[in-house]
Amino acid sequence: MSERTKKRTQVADVDRSLYDFTYSEEGYERYDDGLTPDIVRAISEKKDEPEWMLNMRLAALDTYHAKEMASNWGPSIAGLDMDHISTYVSPRTKQAKSWDDVPDDIKNTFERLGIPEAERESLAGVGAQYDSEIVYHNMREEVAKEGVVYTTIEDALHDPQWEPIVHEYFGTLIPPADHKFAALHYAVWSGGSFVYVPAGVTVDYPLQSYFRLNAEGAGQFEHTLIIVEEGANLHFIEGCSAPKYYEANLHAGAVELFVKDGARLRYSTIENWSKNMYNLNTKRARVGADAKMEWVSGSFGSHVSYLYPTTILQGDRSSCEFSGITFAGATQDLDTGCKVILNGANTTATVDTKSISKDGGCNTFRSSVVVGRRAANARCSVSCQSLMLDDISRSDTIPAMDVRNATASVGHEATIGRISDDTVLYLMSRGCSEAEARTMVVGGFANPVSKELPLEYAVEMNNLIKLEMEGAIG
Amino acid sequence: MQHQLLRVQGLCAGTEDKPILHNIDLTVGAGETHVLMGPNGAGKSTLGHVIMGDPAYMVSTGSIEFDGTDVTDEAADKRSLAGIFLSYQAPVEVPGVPLYSYLRTITQKRPELKMTARKFRARVGEMAEQLDMDSSFLTRELNVGFSGGEKKKIEMLQLLLLKPKLAIMDETDSGLDVDALSVVSRGIEAYRAECDGALLVITHNTRILERLTVDRTHVMVQGRLVAEGPASLIDDIDAHGFEQFEHPQANGSGE
Amino acid sequence: MSVNDERIALERVNTPPAQTWNYLRTNDITLTVPAHSRKGDVFFALPRLFEQVECGMGPKVTEWVESQAADAHYVEVRAGVQRAEPIIAEDDTGVMVRAGAEATIVIGASPTEEALDTSASLVRIIAERDTTVHVLEFVAENADQHVHSVGITAGANARIDVRQFFLAAGTTAAGLTVALDGDHARLDLSCRYLGREHDVLDINHVVRQRGRQTRANVRESGVLDGHARKALRATIDLIHGSSGSEGAELESVLVLSDDVTNKTMPVILCDEDDVAGNHGASIGSIAPEQIQYLRDRGLSLEEAEALYQRALFDEALIAAPTAGIRHTVLARATAVLGADVANDLVAGLGLDEAKEV
Repeated sequence: MSERTKKRTQVADVDRSLYDFTYSEEGYERYDDGLTPDIVRAISEKKDEPEWMLNMRLAALDTYHAKEMASNWGPSIAGLDMDHISTYVSPRTKQAKSWDDVPDDIKNTFERLGIPEAERESLAGVGAQYDSEIVYHNMREEVAKEGVVYTTIEDALHDPQWEPIVHEYFGTLIPPADHKFAALHYAVWSGGSFVYVPAGVTVDYPLQSYFRLNAEGAGQFEHTLIIVEEGANLHFIEGCSAPKYYEANLHAGAVELFVKDGARLRYSTIENWSKNMYNLNTKRARVGADAKMEWVSGSFGSHVSYLYPTTILQGDRSSCEFSGITFAGATQDLDTGCKVILNGANTTATVDTKSISKDGGCNTFRSSVVVGRRAANARCSVSCQSLMLDDISRSDTIPAMDVRNATASVGHEATIGRISDDTVLYLMSRGCSEAEARTMVVGGFANPVSKELPLEYAVEMNNLIKLEMEGAIG
Repeated sequence: MQHQLLRVQGLCAGTEDKPILHNIDLTVGAGETHVLMGPNGAGKSTLGHVIMGDPAYMVSTGSIEFDGTDVTDEAADKRSLAGIFLSYQAPVEVPGVPLYSYLRTITQKRPELKMTARKFRARVGEMAEQLDMDSSFLTRELNVGFSGGEKKKIEMLQLLLLKPKLAIMDETDSGLDVDALSVVSRGIEAYRAECDGALLVITHNTRILERLTVDRTHVMVQGRLVAEGPASLIDDIDAHGFEQFEHPQANGSGE
Repeated sequence: MSVNDERIALERVNTPPAQTWNYLRTNDITLTVPAHSRKGDVFFALPRLFEQVECGMGPKVTEWVESQAADAHYVEVRAGVQRAEPIIAEDDTGVMVRAGAEATIVIGASPTEEALDTSASLVRIIAERDTTVHVLEFVAENADQHVHSVGITAGANARIDVRQFFLAAGTTAAGLTVALDGDHARLDLSCRYLGREHDVLDINHVVRQRGRQTRANVRESGVLDGHARKALRATIDLIHGSSGSEGAELESVLVLSDDVTNKTMPVILCDEDDVAGNHGASIGSIAPEQIQYLRDRGLSLEEAEALYQRALFDEALIAAPTAGIRHTVLARATAVLGADVANDLVAGLGLDEAKEV
């Protein structure tokens, strides 16, 4: 083996300086650490909720305490101690409709993250959450005129028109008993978004919610509920980040997506939590006949992630596409992937994921594809590629398939390896420097996912995987 | 005139969204050798597959008669048992089925070919030798991992085994080296010699025809049979190409 | 091995090194097995070094077979020897293949008159450097359940090829772990299976690639019909230090009935960068172009499906090295395909002329 082939690609760690700034939480309302019925009641009371919601929270709290964690699961969450997590931290501010009404420190935070600018340029509406509460929410007039609703769940619960709708859908797709952290979420949820797109309406620009966790040793438990009615069309973007602390933070959000017959929903996420974050998030979509669900998911941050967006293809001829990339650097153990349940006839699912591991980072791709008995002619293909950038990192691929229909066709392929020396040599023979060649290969590797993102996010992602190539080390 | 084995009359066929073959009339007598030539994309292979009964194509009008029976609506396996054989341009890989099991199964389907397993084994062994095939082929999966030339040998082996009344050779010569080509030629000769079967050779080059006695030549351009003639037509095409046929039909009736 | 008194549960055995969601019920199998008390008896045990050989079904099954088998069988193939006569491995067997030797090891029970409750075996093989080891495993015997655990460790340059045929009725739980410890060690594994009626198949394959430049080629293919339930777990583990190694695994499953439950879990674990791992699975009915090819040669859809089952038995019979195994496979072929086809298989392969061993 020549010296050249022993060289390893030097890829700089994700540059988080962009996200790593904090503001004092002096004067904030912060509830005691730990989980008690009193804290749950306090949250509910503050939000002045209907009684059914309080009851749901209290039942979920019982479920949380009753449920065991599986002992044969992947990354450890031993560093997470709920007795040291505050489940509710709120800046003492009212939700604003104009950035001018947002307190300076919070406004500065979102300015630095580029949210108001993006809103002006390319979004139909924005929601911004700071710790446990939404601090800003606004949507373009013309979108509102079409009957599109984009608000917080709290506000929807106070609106007699929407309270019954929230009641009908909330917690039905992800039941509180789904798993231990779903139960936790329902006990203490706060913030998030409620979106309703009426039948036949196409929202031309994306809506975006941004979640920022500023407080140390706190949890964020936002709930996103989106209903896209028949034949409607929506692109929803979710971004999240936090500054780095040493004390563990917890994110246990829930995303429930209802995509009705003939509708289409694209849900894009750029997740960039800091490396003290336990990201135990649950996302699920139910897709009606002839409808389409698209997921685009970039996972760059957090210390430990359990993240497997689920798509239930319930209606005949419904389809989903999942594109995801996960980047695990030093101290990160990211267990990500997706689940697809094909129940309808002639349903199709395509899953395409990439992962990059470096500096001792650990990636696990985990998936499940379940084809039900009724899913005649269902088609599903899963492709998973993992790139190892050094020999101290780790990359595991754990897919599972369960097929119960003879006319279904399920394919799976996965590859793990490093940047091919042949490819580098080929590019060098055409005049690229080695560094350029390797940059090109890693960029090309991530490209199928980044090209699915809105432009400014693709740029952000490419900045995140900031590639600094060096020469040889060996 | 020989007994008419294959009679295609007024055949129009194509895929769901695209007509390919227009008003085809073609008759092949028992034991005759016909050649179907034409430029790439003319629809030659489609005609072969339609005669075999490939459900990828739909017949809109016209009929296919084989050995005195109308088979237009018959499934491919029935046509096969009636005596039609289509040699694939790219034989399909069938993992999980060793060649031997496959050959035995397709032979036992035909009452006229039934023989004891022991005799069958001996017969297949002889034929493999005739075609320069290693007998280890028999335990390998059907067409899986074989080279292009080896796959064609397996097609020839089936041809000799099944002794069809009509063999359609769909571009059997494409992509073969000289040695493989000679095996294919030998296979076709043996087929002609052993069972006096009829041949419809679909090709766009004339090399494979050098060792064959051709009765009729047909030329297809853009889904139509535009010329028909004796064997000498091949030499004409060799010398002047297909261009001479590509324009006259512009004067014709069109669609 | 057959005993019919006490029964115990072997809970969650045949597990892969990395597991997934428990609710999918694909991580393991729980078996209820006979447990005859052997208190006070002393049996010949294998040399202690066999304890280091990791077996596919895991330690609980190892312990159980050891407790139920009578004397363990230890076989040694001396260095450099090419042993022509196959080694018949039954019950609890340990085989030591010394450096440079070549041996064939056959796992599979001889036919018995009456159906057994449980058929079980534990076979551990240590293949030293430069050895060539052929392992042939047949599970086709007449028993309600079949429990077969195999472990192999391979030294430098060892060539291991394993061919498995899981054709039996009832429940088959089989695990195989191959540790490619030495540099340039190589495994070629082919596993063919058939599940029909209410058969249950639970298969666990684990390849540990520790040496440098090791190669693993794993291929499973099977046919499932009726109400058969199958779970296959196949793990390629590229361990730190196995630089230059390549592991590939591929399963293709033919599903012939809507009542089949087919579970597949192909895992790659990797903490080495200079390696190539890949796996694939294709699950479904016969591809349309394959059906068309077979129809063009005169087979109806049903006949094409039957051909796949016949093919399994053809292969198994060709591979069967002893008269005993042939009888077992043939008896099963007769039950599945009918006597006519079974006789045709035998005659076609010339087995009726072969001298019976």
